Amino acid sequence: MQIKAENLNYVYSPKTPFEKTALDNVSFTVNEGDTLGIVGATGSGKSTLTRHLNALIRIQSGKIFLGDVDLSAKRVDLKEVRKKVGMLFQFPEYQLFADTVKKDVEFGPKNFGFGDKEAACAAEDALRSVGLDIKEIGDKSPFELSGGQMRRVAIAGVIASKPEVLVLDEPTAGLDPVGKREILSLVSELKKSFVKTVIIVSHNMDEIAEYCNRVIVLDNGKLIADTTPDELFNRSDVVDNTELDYPHTVKIKRMLSEFGFEIDSPALNVEALVSGILGRLKS
Amino acid sequence: MKDITLGQYYPSDSFTHKMDARVKLVLVVAFIVAVFLAKNFLSYIAVAACVICATLVSRIPISKMLKSIKAIIMILIFTGILNLMFYNGETVYWSWWRFNVSLEGIIFSVKMVLRLVLLVMGTTLLTFTTTPTGITDGMESLMSPLKYIKVPVHDIAVIMSIALRFIPILSEEVDKIMMAQKARGASFDTGGLVSRAKALLPILIPLFVSAFRRADELALALDARCYNATPNRTRYQVMKFGWRDLAGVIGTAVFIVLVVALNNNFWGAYQSVEAAWWLFAV
Ligand SMILES: Nc1ncnc2c1ncn2[C@@H]1O[C@H](COP(=O)(O)OP(=O)(O)OP(=O)(O)O)[C@@H](O)[C@H]1O
Ligand SMILES: [Mg+2]
Repeated sequence: MQIKAENLNYVYSPKTPFEKTALDNVSFTVNEGDTLGIVGATGSGKSTLTRHLNALIRIQSGKIFLGDVDLSAKRVDLKEVRKKVGMLFQFPEYQLFADTVKKDVEFGPKNFGFGDKEAACAAEDALRSVGLDIKEIGDKSPFELSGGQMRRVAIAGVIASKPEVLVLDEPTAGLDPVGKREILSLVSELKKSFVKTVIIVSHNMDEIAEYCNRVIVLDNGKLIADTTPDELFNRSDVVDNTELDYPHTVKIKRMLSEFGFEIDSPALNVEALVSGILGRLKS
Repeated sequence: MKDITLGQYYPSDSFTHKMDARVKLVLVVAFIVAVFLAKNFLSYIAVAACVICATLVSRIPISKMLKSIKAIIMILIFTGILNLMFYNGETVYWSWWRFNVSLEGIIFSVKMVLRLVLLVMGTTLLTFTTTPTGITDGMESLMSPLKYIKVPVHDIAVIMSIALRFIPILSEEVDKIMMAQKARGASFDTGGLVSRAKALLPILIPLFVSAFRRADELALALDARCYNATPNRTRYQVMKFGWRDLAGVIGTAVFIVLVVALNNNFWGAYQSVEAAWWLFAV
């Protein structure tokens, strides 16, 4: 399913002293199979943009097409849209509410019309894929789990309804390095099964460089770049002109090149950087 | 503060915005007294003139004012109709069972509605032009004599300002939780009363959990900074009685005197003028 946004504009509290333009004529396309990164300084409109994608925010002007569903139409089947586009918010553990883990994970599937059995199966699968055993914790209260476990349960609650598109708004904020890695490798894992398209909002350029095949850059609500990580970090001056940063691997590559040690690998992850350095040393 | 209009503060730097919060509080109380003092239509007109002048110097858009009146429109209609029906007047126009619509009833209910509208206008003017923090600070300062009879005025003020500070935070939290549950397919505006009430659980439970967590964190943060309500804390913003405040007090005093004078027909000065006499009488 292709996602297409055309000329999106969004203004918070229009016609009041608090008026704030959050999106300014943003257009882009995400193809099926893409992992799209959205980057930009805080307040640049990233969350506002992602919330449009599953109709949590109604479109003020512009158009969004999810496949052939027009989100700007008068009547939109919200359930269908939200089933297709799953969304994981920052600190998702704060959305837990049910008295058992199992019920909480089944909440999404049941809302989307799964039968009892189907929902139970979906919950079990989802918990397994985040590394939890339904037999062990299924009947526990989500509030007696550890923070890390809570977050996994929350993630399971989102992926249990088997979305085709997964949108993650700063999924790794507030996690330790191991936790960050776990979440992202879970996402890559999911991308091999039912999740076809992933959209990640992140302030962490290392993650963007490593996991995304495309990036868009927002600045004050305007889309100022729509490229690949390679293009963005190695071949353009967008990063220098905004408050963005380079991924660590690219920083190392740039430092080396200051000393005359040029590498021709894009150096978007550690392996690429290392093999680039080794290749240069050998030659 | 995002789109929440609690306290409905309307940012601007008008005359009234710059006034001392304590003075504004006192003036609002005086205004309320004036509304209740008003007896005849002419004195109501004086009160209305007072609130209109105040709105003009505060540069609050009329649409904002109308909105705050619209919020109580049901109460206004209800009050109007009840007073109209149950007032025991003499000149009865229409009656059915226990209901009598009389001339006196009409006059009385118009006055009641007018009174409510004026009260709402005056008090919202305060909240439009004063930040919630300003209001609590002002109240604390006004209540400070109570310290001498061992009322913990400062503690009460701190509790109030924390509560006020937390309302927008919690409302933002509600927004976030609602979005997260909607993204999981929850819907809050379909189904009957019971299913709607049940649909609120996925919001209320996380909200309470987070409110308690925040309260804990705040208590820790206050402790960590050795916060305590010692008697001689200084303030970041010192309140001062300035020329604007003096002008406000004089203006309001003039209107109150006018209201009292109109109530008493200027002590008989206008009795000879027929038309004016009628206006004073109703
Ligand atoms: N509910 C709201 N009401 C009013 N203004 C808002 C609201 N939500 C966001 N904004 C404003 O809109 C702009 C864009 O906000 P948004 O949350 O989309 O930014 P963001 O790129 O996600 O930032 P961050 O990286 O901090 O999450 C900001 O200036 C913000 O202050
Ligand atoms: Mg955001």
